[in-house]
Amino acid sequence: MPSPSRGAFAWVLDKEWRELMASKAWWIFLALIGPLVGFSFIQAVRTYGEASGVGGTAAGVGEAFSPLVGIWAPTFSACELAAAFLLPFVAIRLVSGDRQSGALKIELQHAMPSFVRVGAKGLVLAAGWIVASAAPACAMVLWKLYGGTLYAPELMSVAVGHFLNAGLTIALGAATAAMTEHPSTAAIATLGVTVGTWILNFVAAVQGGWWERAAAYTPTAMVAQFQHGLVRLDLVLATAALIAAGLALAAVWIRIGVATRRRIAESVVLGGVLTVLIAACTLARGTWDTSENRMNSFSESEEAALRQIRAPLRVEAHLAPEDPRRVDLDRQLAKVRRAVPKFKVDYISATSIGLFEQTSAHYGEIWYEAGGRRTMSRVITAEGVLESIFSVAGVAPPTENEDEQFRGHPLAATPTGAGYIFYGLWPAGVAAAALFTRRKDS
Amino acid sequence: MAGSGSPRGEVRVSQLTKRYGDVAALSDVSFSIREGEVLGLIGPNGSGKTTLFECIGGVLPLDGGAISRGGRPLTRAERAAALFYLPDAIAPWPAQTVRWALEYTLGLFDGRADWRDEVVRRLDLEPLLDKPIGTLSKGQRKRALLAIGLLTPQPVLLADEPFDGLDLRQTRDVAQTLGWFASRGRTLFLSIHQIADAARVCHRFVLLSSGRVRGEGTIDELTALARARSGDERTADLEEVFLALT
Repeated sequence: MPSPSRGAFAWVLDKEWRELMASKAWWIFLALIGPLVGFSFIQAVRTYGEASGVGGTAAGVGEAFSPLVGIWAPTFSACELAAAFLLPFVAIRLVSGDRQSGALKIELQHAMPSFVRVGAKGLVLAAGWIVASAAPACAMVLWKLYGGTLYAPELMSVAVGHFLNAGLTIALGAATAAMTEHPSTAAIATLGVTVGTWILNFVAAVQGGWWERAAAYTPTAMVAQFQHGLVRLDLVLATAALIAAGLALAAVWIRIGVATRRRIAESVVLGGVLTVLIAACTLARGTWDTSENRMNSFSESEEAALRQIRAPLRVEAHLAPEDPRRVDLDRQLAKVRRAVPKFKVDYISATSIGLFEQTSAHYGEIWYEAGGRRTMSRVITAEGVLESIFSVAGVAPPTENEDEQFRGHPLAATPTGAGYIFYGLWPAGVAAAALFTRRKDS
Repeated sequence: MAGSGSPRGEVRVSQLTKRYGDVAALSDVSFSIREGEVLGLIGPNGSGKTTLFECIGGVLPLDGGAISRGGRPLTRAERAAALFYLPDAIAPWPAQTVRWALEYTLGLFDGRADWRDEVVRRLDLEPLLDKPIGTLSKGQRKRALLAIGLLTPQPVLLADEPFDGLDLRQTRDVAQTLGWFASRGRTLFLSIHQIADAARVCHRFVLLSSGRVRGEGTIDELTALARARSGDERTADLEEVFLALT
């Protein structure tokens, strides 16, 4: 318990932490995230091991494997599930609980700004997420014990991505809980927004254009970038702005003593500020490829050659949004974008799936243009894209450097003991901690 | 500036109005809370007592009217520093113990720590200190809530139904406790629907019916008002006064 002299905020933090520990939603979330992560980790290790030659299977594919793609992306995807379907209830419980019990009527009579009050809830929930991150941390320890390699930058990237995703969920849950009278309404609204972002992703895949740009900032798309080891400044800033806006919206609506009309007006202003902020965030250009296998970048020598291109580079691709070739091409062009600052891509298609455009004269063509020169290609591989760019820009391609190639970390291991830890020890430990905490507080 | 005739610590509620859609819950409610007094708000169920307290306490938005102290309108922050509203029928922090709730109140509001032991003793909370609030009976919870209210530092305490859920002995003890705090300078404004309870503890009364103030004053003042209105000289106790005026 904080001493009375430590100030009101310390007391509110203490209270929020106690309320979190007293919440059944929190303990259920904590108990379930272990088996969820464990299941994903065990499956990933088995697949990785088989590809690396376990059980007499031919080794080969595993040599190209990076633990980031083979182990950590699937393992942490369980955290994404937990953030989408379990964490909202914890956040809603922490915010709605005060309204349901009547504590809000007492606490609101303190002059503390409501954003500080909601901020305390956000901090405690973020701390809760960090505690829950012990599950993937256990997976990392096990992987190391199996003889696997850990590359800290890419692991940090994945962890930060999921932390930001959890922050989004917390902010969304807090906002809906503050805006609605009952927690069940807040839960439905939160899940509605989550499903809405999935629909946006689907529409973006079909329609392309502005939908595609908007979908790049949904939680799923954001996490996917981090899971590939790519840290994009625009995404980090936009996510931070969304989290702040969600908490600010919650702060606006927990002030039950303020007229509804005024709260609506403040929410509209907040929406306007957020729109401007997000638009400004999209202008940020910084990116960092933290993956060990440079999966988001060309080789260092190729990037050095690309940086020599001074003239604006333009690509015009005649591919429909749902054409699988466009996905592959996008992946390569994203690498180009990271090395060439003056780079523009235009997609041209008459339909969304492209199936019935195959016979049209220019479908599938990819035109490259720089310094008044144009060249056309249909190749979507990294080598093909680079060859066209170097050709149109008049830059000599670098000589291939064998040392730069990622050799992979094959590991023919089985997930020994992981089942006992994630399906037995973890839930038992959480249950024991829940009982201990409740007994200590009562 | 206290130059408008109001004593420095007097809280004045002026023409307070609150509507729920087409229904007027409070209409032009005006009265004063004098420094150091125990003021009773009396009215039947549905008369708007809780709405009035919530509006004054700042947990329900007003549609019109003003709250001033010493003749000066209070800002939201000033109101938070001057008044504390203790709601009825709530179970705040149900998983936390009474001991923690009292410490939290003292820490959050920078409350009267020197009164903690006295409050616990007078409200007989010692056996309940380590019990979670959510496990308390209605009467026990009411005493715990009163303790929270009494430990807050604001000079004016608004308590909604402070005797609700208490038995006869507890009602008497709580009335004595409230009187003890009032004698030490705490201004109390109590919403009470049992007129006998109100008569036991309050110095003055505000009679509320259908969202309107029907009278304000001491028993003698209200009795005179009732006799003047009804012309019945037999009107004697508060119950009869209340019936005559509402």
